[in-house]
Amino acid sequence: MLASLDWSVLWQRIFHPDHEFVLALWRTIYIAVAAQLLGVILGLIAALMRMSRLAPLRLLSGLYVLIFRGTPVIVQIFFVFYGANLLLGVTIIPNSVNLGVFQLDGKAFAGILALGINEGAYMREIFRAGIDSIDKGQMEAAKSLGMPSGLAMRRIILPQAARVIVPPLGNEFNNMIKTTSLVAFIGVTELFQNAEIGLSQTFKPVEYFLSVAFWYLVLTAVWSVIQAWIERKLAVSERGEELSWRERIAAAWTPVAAWGRGAR
Amino acid sequence: MDARRRLGQGRAVSSNDLCVRAVDVDKHFGRLHVLKSVSLDVAKGETVCVIGPSGSGKSTLLRCINHLETIDGGRIEVNGHLIGYRERNGKLVEDSDKNIAKQRCEVGMVFQRFNLFPHKTALQNVIEAPLKVRGEAKERATRVGEELLARVGLADKRDVYPGKLSGGQQQRVAIARALAMRPALMLFDEPTSALDPETIGEVLAVMQELAEVGMTMVVVTHEMGFARRAADRVVMMDEGQIIEVGTPEHFFTAPTHDRTKQFLSKIL
Repeated sequence: MLASLDWSVLWQRIFHPDHEFVLALWRTIYIAVAAQLLGVILGLIAALMRMSRLAPLRLLSGLYVLIFRGTPVIVQIFFVFYGANLLLGVTIIPNSVNLGVFQLDGKAFAGILALGINEGAYMREIFRAGIDSIDKGQMEAAKSLGMPSGLAMRRIILPQAARVIVPPLGNEFNNMIKTTSLVAFIGVTELFQNAEIGLSQTFKPVEYFLSVAFWYLVLTAVWSVIQAWIERKLAVSERGEELSWRERIAAAWTPVAAWGRGAR
Repeated sequence: MDARRRLGQGRAVSSNDLCVRAVDVDKHFGRLHVLKSVSLDVAKGETVCVIGPSGSGKSTLLRCINHLETIDGGRIEVNGHLIGYRERNGKLVEDSDKNIAKQRCEVGMVFQRFNLFPHKTALQNVIEAPLKVRGEAKERATRVGEELLARVGLADKRDVYPGKLSGGQQQRVAIARALAMRPALMLFDEPTSALDPETIGEVLAVMQELAEVGMTMVVVTHEMGFARRAADRVVMMDEGQIIEVGTPEHFFTAPTHDRTKQFLSKIL
């Protein structure tokens, strides 16, 4: 079966990617980063709303999670891109968005919006778990020193909760990198769409999808290193038994190591 | 000291001399009636120890004084300012987060479980509120913070994280942290109950020194020795009510209430 692979195509897509491909890779990266950023912001806002004194805000936060965690993300992407147009009769997604430094394609904008809103629902749960993991006495101590809730949250609770929040946040971003492939369905030319275009011209799906898988793997592997570094940075000296970041990377690569040992 | 002792013996005190004025405070936890119309006045410079069996409402009363707990009835004033509420059309409504935060600046609190910020060093714990709440300059806050750490005997621990300090040391940092806001009143919620017997003494010594220099203090405690030495007045609570108030001499020689006698006989 391997014999039927066209190695030259695969090699070329891995080692000599063309200009179009680099553009597609760049789109995948910025869509993932922007959507994750939006998700983090929305998730934090929703987590804070959940703790509000005002019942309507708490309800809104709950509904947000219920709806966006409870429906498929591909449906949400379609809704954002086509739905508003068809339902309301107005175009809320512009053809392109001018960001000063570069023009953001309207479809990519819709993709970022949909993925970000979806991600926010998951991030709310992660923020909630992180904030809830901090002893109630911390908030009481901060308040007894005269800190308003917002300041106490920013200076005392969130910095401690970050240790609990960052590992699952890293997982979410790993997921996000791969989930961006869904915006291919509204016509954004990112990694996956780029492969689809290529294979429709060459009829070599195996080579193209293998190369796509390879590049997603590169992105997530690079991210796992960055994540290990961030977690290391966050590990405060208060507890002596923190893993070094080499050990963290090693832990992330355990399956590979185990496979290596098994082969010997 | 004598002047303060006299204040405690039931003599009428003008409201200008009052630090805490709690009037008919009611508090429920669900169906449980934890404070039943409790009234307590604390004069400026006075040290009041609150004793009583667990579940008697003494910690809850203390936590109401800086509005860590809401109250269902009555009112609490510190230095003449209503705490946690504001009057609107003759009714009390809960005040805004910002205003409550301002009121709390006047009231320092020390907790049973210290509640130091584990991601900050001893000094950072002490200067956090002066920097971020009062907006003090870093040099000034640091200088005051170092003085306070020296005062509680921990000058050499300024850059140590709480996790590396003993319980007694943590509690002394917590006292310094509360003092850094220059409060008019200090509340202590069983400050030695979570400590090893050997470290209790060092914390009580710091508290006694505070009492002697005239800090107004309300101390919920089971340390009868401390109550005897440092208190101007002792308040006995049982089942959500204050059942006896008096000087330490009165309490430890001739308590009048049966419930007080019974409690003291068990604890002494």
